[in-house]
Parts: sequence; C-alpha cells; structure tokens
Amino acid sequence: MSEQLLPSQFEDLEHFAAAWSLPTERARSRKRLSSPMSEIQAFYDAILPQAPVIIDYLNGFSLDEMPVRERCLFNMLLSLAEVANAVELFKEPGVIDGFDPERFTPMHE
Amino acid sequence: MEKESDQNFGQWARKYPELGTGPVPIEPCVSPEHFELERERIFKRVWLNVGRDEEIANPGDYYVKDMAVWGTSIIVMRGRDGKVRAFHNMCSHRGNKLAWDTKGNCRAITCKFHGWSYDTAGRLTGVPDEKNFFEFKRADHGLTPVATDVWEGFIFVHLDPNPKETLREYLGEVADQLEGYPFGQLSTRFTYLADERVNWKVLLDAQQEGYHLPVLHRRTFSKTIVSEESATNAYRSVAMRLYKYHRMLATSGVGDQASVLTPIETLSRRFGATTMAAMGGGTYTGNAKTVLTGSFDFWVIFPNFVLALMEGTYFTYNLWPQSVAHTLWEVRTYYPPAKNAGERFSQEYAKCTLRDPLLEDGGVHEKVQSMLASGARSHFTFQDEETLLRHGHHVVAEFVK
Repeated sequence: MSEQLLPSQFEDLEHFAAAWSLPTERARSRKRLSSPMSEIQAFYDAILPQAPVIIDYLNGFSLDEMPVRERCLFNMLLSLAEVANAVELFKEPGVIDGFDPERFTPMHE
Repeated sequence: MEKESDQNFGQWARKYPELGTGPVPIEPCVSPEHFELERERIFKRVWLNVGRDEEIANPGDYYVKDMAVWGTSIIVMRGRDGKVRAFHNMCSHRGNKLAWDTKGNCRAITCKFHGWSYDTAGRLTGVPDEKNFFEFKRADHGLTPVATDVWEGFIFVHLDPNPKETLREYLGEVADQLEGYPFGQLSTRFTYLADERVNWKVLLDAQQEGYHLPVLHRRTFSKTIVSEESATNAYRSVAMRLYKYHRMLATSGVGDQASVLTPIETLSRRFGATTMAAMGGGTYTGNAKTVLTGSFDFWVIFPNFVLALMEGTYFTYNLWPQSVAHTLWEVRTYYPPAKNAGERFSQEYAKCTLRDPLLEDGGVHEKVQSMLASGARSHFTFQDEETLLRHGHHVVAEFVK
C-alpha cells in the first residue's frame, strides 16, 4: 500500500497524484508534452467535475502555509490549468506548429 | 479583388499619409552592417527598459542585466537612500566583473580580485593596501554610472550618463496617456525567456499587428478577438496611434462569445482575469475596471519594449538583440497578488493561455528569418493593419541614416 498523497475526501483522485502533482510550470509542461492524449484526457475528465469543490476546499488554506496533502492537491489543480489548452483548444498535447517549448523557458516556479 | 465597401478602407494609411503605402526593404533585418548601425545609433542613444522597481524593493537589492547590445553588463541597484541607480558591472581598478550572480542584496559590493568595495550608491569605500597607490583619491574611482530613471515603476537606463532627453521627454505622449495606470497593483510577475535565431525587428513585427490573428492564432487568441459571425473573418483595430518614436494599437474583442467559454476558461474567470477574458473584453469577477481604449491595448515603446494592457492583467516584452539574427525575447506577465488557491489557479491558466499562443508566434519567427536571409526577395508588402510595422521601419531608418 503506497503512502496517501491527497486529503482523504479526494481519494478517488489519488491514483493521478504521483504523476500530475508537480511543483513547477516546467515540470507540469513536460508532463503534458510527454503524455499521450488518452492519459491527459483521463486526468482532465476525472478532475474537472471536482475542480470547483477542490478550489472551495483549498481556499480555506493559506497559499504560503498549505499542509503537505493540500499542497499536493493544489499542484495537481495547477496541472489541470496546464493541460486545459491541450484538451480544449489543440486536441493534442503540444502547441500545433509551435516553437520548441524547451527554448521558451519559465524563469519562475 | 473587391475592396472594402465602407469608408474605412485604408483608414490607417489615410491617418498617417507620410508613411506611404509602398514596399519596405528587408535588408535592415538581415544585414550585419545595418545591425551595427542600430546598435550605435539606436540602442546606445535611447532609454531602454530593464525591469520594474518591485524587483529591487529594499535598499541594497540589486540585479545584474547582461546588455549584449551595449557590449556590457550592468548592475541595477536600490541605494540605502532608496534611489535606483545603474552602473557598469565593472571594478574601477583592473576591470573585473563585480557581481557574478544574477541578483541579491548587499550593504557593499566587493571585487573578488583585489577586494575593492563600493557602497550602494557606487562610491568606492574600501581599498586594501590603499597607501601603496600613488596620489590616490577614492572619489575618482567610483563605479561607472549609466543614466537611470523610473517611470510608473518601470526602470529605464541610458548608456550616456547625461542623456540629451530625459526619460519623461523621451516617452512623451505615451507617458501622458498611461500615467496613473495601476501597474503597481499588478505586482505578481511571471517571466519567460525565449532564445530565438531571429532579428529583433522581425520578432517585433510578428507581434505588432492583428492581421495574423485569424490565421496563426485560429485555435487560440483569434477566438476572443475576431468574431466568428464576421463575414470576412478579418481583424480590424479600433485605434492606432503613431508618435515620434512610439506607437500603439487597440483591439476590441468579442466579449463573452460562447466559442471562447471552454470549461476551464469559465471556471478560471470566477477567480480572476484570464488572458482570453481580458484580451477579448469578457467579464470576470473581482477587479475594478480601468480605462483602456480597446479591450487590448498594445503599446510599443521604441525600440524594444512592449506594454500589452488589458483589464486586470498586463504583459510586457523586452527584445534583447544579441546579433543581427539572434534575439532574447523576455516575456513578463503580471497579475494582482493571489489571495487564495482559486486566484492562483486562474493565474496559472491565464499564463498558460498566454504562453501557448506565444509558442504559436515563436513557431514562425525563425522560419521567417531563415527565408529573409535567403535574399530571394528584397521587400516586404504591408497592408493597412500592418501600419505599425511601416512606422517601426520608418523610425529605425530615421535613426540609422
């Protein structure tokens, strides 16, 4: 039995946490670009219906002092923001005919 | 080819007839000799933005900026007296580079070579074994300054320590129009740095027109700016203003049109200004309205600084020429400080929805440059919505001649 990563009430999302709870934009972007569309879509479909509830729950915590499991859930929510355009606009992981994302470097986290 | 039937045909060319409507030469975008003239006659003679004063909020805060276009590195520092100054990043003794990091805070900055140290106003304050120098006066050996001034929180530098124009004079009507804009409230900043094999003007030209929106950005920005009900699917600016050096265009988007409102766009708008909502003039919850000309106002401050203003967020470009066909594209996107997870989520989505369309732009830049360099054609052909490009090439030519 692996360690519980997310708050208990979101246990149905637990199996996404190891792959999609990533602390930086660069890490989330690389995960998006290296994943098949089926995996991105499965993650999006699972988390989207719960996103308003997740946000309401996380809004009860300070951004700077989030406990470990809430932080994990929050980083997963940011991955939803990262994959949104892949699912909703491009229908494929990357930007179609786009510049090499490895050469467009986020200087932030 | 049928011309636009209404009286708007050629509206920008008629507003600025001195620019003409003819072809514009490609050569300044590919010629190393022309680039050297631009370096000497433009970049070394005008004010250049190098950041925001929030980056050095406290006395002693500094950052280092590599100014390849000047052939130097500078330190931008807030003194103990609160004043922002910039200096060549060079010890006055034997020329060693002083700061080797990219940012920090100091009471004094000390050279790693022989230990000369300088205070936060650039004065020489310490020299090991000073008595062994000849007729030595510390006051003669302070750091070499570059002119520095701050407008609305934007730090500008000028290579000439005594510029002929003040920053305020240089900005002119741009400053008149934008003074008081709430930049300071949008203090959360994210930065991207793209390293592109492209001339700085080719990069800028790809940005300072809306003609490309319905084609290159048909999957992204176009949805919020060009109405799907439009018969021609053509982009039209709602305003263009050309100044002596600077220029702007304003766009009025489609607002809350259904094609924009994807599930995550809709969710994000509950918590802040998404890129699509802000650019297109759509509604979102949470911020006071400010006055803009369109929903998206794009200001080009000559030569290499762009301020792109929308409701509740803005972004900037600084284009840093490295050589004729090599430019660092610094993109910064600004938001109000996030108070909770929902606002931070909205910002994350907003910046992804800025970044991804900019990757669409970036996909074109280097391909254009590589073909311009072929020499197969000698001139560009600009249409009326490309009038800012025409103005930009005109201003460059005036400086270089």
